[in-house]
Amino acid sequence: MEIKYTLQGLLIYIAIAGYLSAFITTTAGLRRTGRVLYFFGFMTSCFSYGYRWYDAGHVPLQNLFEVFLCLGMIYPFSLFCRRVLGVGGLSSDMFLGAVVLFPAGFIFNAEPQHLPPALQSRLFVPHVAVYVLSYIFMAKASFQAIMQLSGGEYKTEEGLLGPEEATYRMIRAGFVLLTLGLILGSWWGKLAWGDYWGWDPKELWSLASWLIYVGYFHFRYMFGKKHARINSIWVIVGMAVIIITLLWVNLSRLFGGLHSYAT
Amino acid sequence: MGINQSLKNKFRRLLMWAALLLIVLLIFLSIYGAFVGAERAKSFFNLLPLTVYWVVLVVALVAGLGVFGRLVRAPGLLLIHLGVIVVLLGGMAGSERGHELQRRFFGIDKVQAGSMVISEGESENLITSEKDGARWRLPFSIRLKDFRIEYYKPDYLRVQMRSGEGWKIPVEAGVEYSLGADIGELRIVRAFENFKITIEGDKRIAVDDRRPGINPAVQVEIRHPDGSITSEYVFERFPSQPRPEDKFLLTYRRIISDYISDLEVIEDGRVVAEKSIEVNKPLHFGGYHFYQYFYDTEAGQYTELSVTSDTGLRFVYAGYVMLCAGVIWHLWLREILAKRKRQRTERKNGN
Repeated sequence: MEIKYTLQGLLIYIAIAGYLSAFITTTAGLRRTGRVLYFFGFMTSCFSYGYRWYDAGHVPLQNLFEVFLCLGMIYPFSLFCRRVLGVGGLSSDMFLGAVVLFPAGFIFNAEPQHLPPALQSRLFVPHVAVYVLSYIFMAKASFQAIMQLSGGEYKTEEGLLGPEEATYRMIRAGFVLLTLGLILGSWWGKLAWGDYWGWDPKELWSLASWLIYVGYFHFRYMFGKKHARINSIWVIVGMAVIIITLLWVNLSRLFGGLHSYAT
Repeated sequence: MGINQSLKNKFRRLLMWAALLLIVLLIFLSIYGAFVGAERAKSFFNLLPLTVYWVVLVVALVAGLGVFGRLVRAPGLLLIHLGVIVVLLGGMAGSERGHELQRRFFGIDKVQAGSMVISEGESENLITSEKDGARWRLPFSIRLKDFRIEYYKPDYLRVQMRSGEGWKIPVEAGVEYSLGADIGELRIVRAFENFKITIEGDKRIAVDDRRPGINPAVQVEIRHPDGSITSEYVFERFPSQPRPEDKFLLTYRRIISDYISDLEVIEDGRVVAEKSIEVNKPLHFGGYHFYQYFYDTEAGQYTELSVTSDTGLRFVYAGYVMLCAGVIWHLWLREILAKRKRQRTERKNGN
């Protein structure tokens, strides 16, 4: 863990501070101030991402640092979920923004790198971008699933869905992107490495996460909301496998493979 | 009728449980495969019991389409399930076992995957099979006109101080850089693509040899605080080891931006296709894809292409399109359109 004494680092820390103070003020009941701070955190996060883009000379989605930096721009996603999908959890999104920026600010190496030949593809940005977006949906779905699992009576704001329904809606939205990510990756693999499926550890973990959500859909079709807690467990396990796919596969020496440049 | 319906319902329930079991089994198999590494995972998923698994999965999907009317009536669900079936069938056709069966029953003699080595200016039609090292001859030849490596410009010389500080200096002749008051100034004198020493009389002279070879180096001069100048060479392939008295370490590494092989396809003595292949831009000809895979790291005089059969690929891609269209329709568009319809109806009723 190290502090980044650079403009890039400074922007990340300001964004984290913005998100955390938004979370604290919202939790304390100062919703309007919280939203202003949330927007401030988002704008700083955008500046940070834009600066990285300028500095690296390519769309910054090459490695974990850049992916987590991208994940930090969560504000429009929150608004979309609330206004279009009817899924709440604004304060948890504020906290999530700070959580995803933390490794970018303190853990991952931020030195800009040239794109290796394999990443110079028109599929690079769509493949990574849809995965990043799907992961945010799935993270929010897991939060709703945890809410559902933790039981108790929840006051759902008017017009917003309860945790079980909200989880289902988030999974429906995220699964499409997860599928696109898997297929775009497979197509790209065919162009770059010669095979649309290379049995690489990252591919297999991403297949496992996709299959968990397939299992969730089948289970929910079979039982509906009768076993709502088991529905939620599927979703949380899916998120755990996504975290492994995103982090463990790249950070652990256990899984050497074709995706090692993302480290 | 009643008994038939009851049996059908039982079969449906059984099939749903079977589907769930197959999904969970594949989750665990995928995780196992991730732990054993790509090569062993590939062998594992092609074992006979796993082949049986794939066949059972296809049968279960087909049976699902047969007994669940909703899967056929809902276009999205139909596309998703058909898409998976088509991908699996394409995958089976393109597998090693699929190639063996096509050889045995249809006389289609193709190698599933292999590699070929071609020297510059030469043509080749021999493929070494990835599976068992057997040699296969293509009905056409591939000629390597030229192989080259491109690098990001400018290259950088990296200076690493003992204190932990470090800088990157662009390798351009004449560039000067201060390394601090106690070390002095560094100047880039010259960059070499292929460094060689020639001896003229009793003098040793550094030259950039134009003959085949790869030995990149940078000549630098360091002007010390006392005014003296020392010169040294920094080699990319032979990095120097730091000595205890050294205050800094110089390293030189170029970053590859692309590998390019200019290829010609020769059939019946004439050139029928040409392509410069790079990573992400393979050549597709005669039922095979040819990929830039490896190269002669010593002199850049030959290229190694990986060759894969395209059998089953169209099915796989068709399945992908169906699967994508299915999930987008079923999980996104259907709901959006239904919502709009609801809103229109409400507006109409309100009016």
